[in-house]
Amino acid sequence: MFKKMDTALRNLGVAALFFVVVLLVGKNVGPYNQSQIAVALIIFIGVLSINILTGLSGQLSLGQGALMAIGGYSCALMINNWHLSMWIAIPLSLVSAAIAGYLLGLVAARLSGPYLAGTTLLLALALPTIANRFETVFGGETGLSIDFGTPTQWLSGIVSQDSFELWQLFVALIFATVSLFLTCNLFTSRSARSWRALRDHEPAAELMGINISRTKTQIFAISSAFAGVAGALYGLRGLVGPSVFGIALSLSLLTGSILGGVRSILGAGIGAVIVVFLPDWIGKAMHPFALADQLTNYLPALLSSLLLVLTIVINPGGIASSLYALARRARGNFKK
Amino acid sequence: MQTFLNAFFTGGSRGAIYALVALGLVLVWRGAGLINFAQMGQAMFSAYVASTLIAQGKNYWIAFIAALVVGAVLGAAIDILVIRPLKKKSGSAILNSPSMREAIPVIASLGILGILQALAGMIWAGDERGFPAPVSTSAISLGGKSAPFTPFDLFVIGTVFAILLATSLFLSKTSVGLAMRASALNSEVARLSGIRTRSIRTLGWVISGAVASIAGLFITPATNIAPNSLDLILIVGFAACVIGGLDSLMGSVLGGFILGFTTSFIGVYDVPEDIFIAIFAMLILVMLFRPQGIFGSKAGRRV
Repeated sequence: MFKKMDTALRNLGVAALFFVVVLLVGKNVGPYNQSQIAVALIIFIGVLSINILTGLSGQLSLGQGALMAIGGYSCALMINNWHLSMWIAIPLSLVSAAIAGYLLGLVAARLSGPYLAGTTLLLALALPTIANRFETVFGGETGLSIDFGTPTQWLSGIVSQDSFELWQLFVALIFATVSLFLTCNLFTSRSARSWRALRDHEPAAELMGINISRTKTQIFAISSAFAGVAGALYGLRGLVGPSVFGIALSLSLLTGSILGGVRSILGAGIGAVIVVFLPDWIGKAMHPFALADQLTNYLPALLSSLLLVLTIVINPGGIASSLYALARRARGNFKK
Repeated sequence: MQTFLNAFFTGGSRGAIYALVALGLVLVWRGAGLINFAQMGQAMFSAYVASTLIAQGKNYWIAFIAALVVGAVLGAAIDILVIRPLKKKSGSAILNSPSMREAIPVIASLGILGILQALAGMIWAGDERGFPAPVSTSAISLGGKSAPFTPFDLFVIGTVFAILLATSLFLSKTSVGLAMRASALNSEVARLSGIRTRSIRTLGWVISGAVASIAGLFITPATNIAPNSLDLILIVGFAACVIGGLDSLMGSVLGGFILGFTTSFIGVYDVPEDIFIAIFAMLILVMLFRPQGIFGSKAGRRV
């Protein structure tokens, strides 16, 4: 019991530190980087949802973008049609994404690797056609635009009213911090141990009394809830539409997850930062060379895919696993 | 009646193309145990090469052969450069669990798809390009009335059947084909009996790449190619495999035709937007009630 409290306290400390550091960094950079950090925070939540699903339980979803879309669309619809406050709409869109994830999980529980991957990919690819089919509700190809709102009175002391970017960052940061705290607790929980058992040896886990299909469905619902929050925040940047939640988004989430380390929370953070800032870095590095547009347009995509494949071939554990290995070795040397 | 026949023949030629895609997927699946999501990236790439050759005034058939070769080489390259090293890595912690061993190569194939699409965007500037058909794509007229099919439909269906026949003869009558079947069935035993399973697996990638390239060339007269234009075809091909049964060549080909007819009839009698919803529904239904596919055999589970 005491040990449990300790872990929870430590996780709370980690989350608080995360909040303060990101806020301090965010206040001291320009508006462009502020909105980039906001995107990185949102992507971080999305990557967490993959690390929970794939890292903890070994189920692979290639359509996490579609679950984000469900969160995004429900948040947009609630704000536009019911005029709900964002602070109510986002948690509610979490619920709707979790329900969708639960339904998907019911199917997923019966599917293994390749079937699940293909089905979720199909879902992500079918999204634009669904948006077109029910155009009156979802706004078709163009999507729905939503008003993000301005800081409420009591917050204007922390973030100034006039900076949209800092406000965006602040909202994303709150939800990212909560997600971080919850995921930290989740990763050390009893359920996570049973999920790992399921990932590593399904028949053995079943013999230990773990209900396979119920557990798989649960994991899907939880992971989708995270994806839903990420999607709601992603849409709140102004537009919810098929182009926002395209297949490219699912792929960049997956790339972030693998690059950083699919089994680690730190890895999700590293991956999110790389995925979001890579185009900027490439732009800066390539600036002196004055390359043709046709090269620079596709360079980020090429490099991130290349990094993805190289990571898988060379170091499938991702950056985080190498960092942990280094830290372990350093500690070992220190003891000697 | 005319509408029905039109839809029927369009469905047939479309189904033939889906069957090719499904055939390519199954060939890799049986050898390497992964769904190759990069497959239509290979096809896209070789279609671009072919259309460049045509634009330079080369003959259709030279471009056709070039596309085949590019698809085959890309297939071999993926296996040798990515999949083989990955197999060697199986000792690393993350690849310890069976579920991750399945998931990681799939993600790798998506990464390869990304690389191919970005490269195509760089080389050809993301141009949308057409690719000519070797025969006319307007309806034949029979005795003053226009027939419900075009010469190109017949050409596609004929070629696809020839390829399917050749593949099944290759697999059942030749010793290399037998070796392929053996290593798909049990790679360990096949290796012990002297089959060079690694090369055999690469051969599967080569054939699959070439077959997918043909599918890519057959689609392009109808829709232009762009770096990501074939993504949807891949996913239809995947659905075809699952509906027919991933481990059955026959089944996946039939699955391709089933989907070809379904999409074509929905496109004619309903709205085209419903096509994807229908495919998704079919996929879910098959997976819920017959997870091994209509023609697949049930896999046992070892405890």
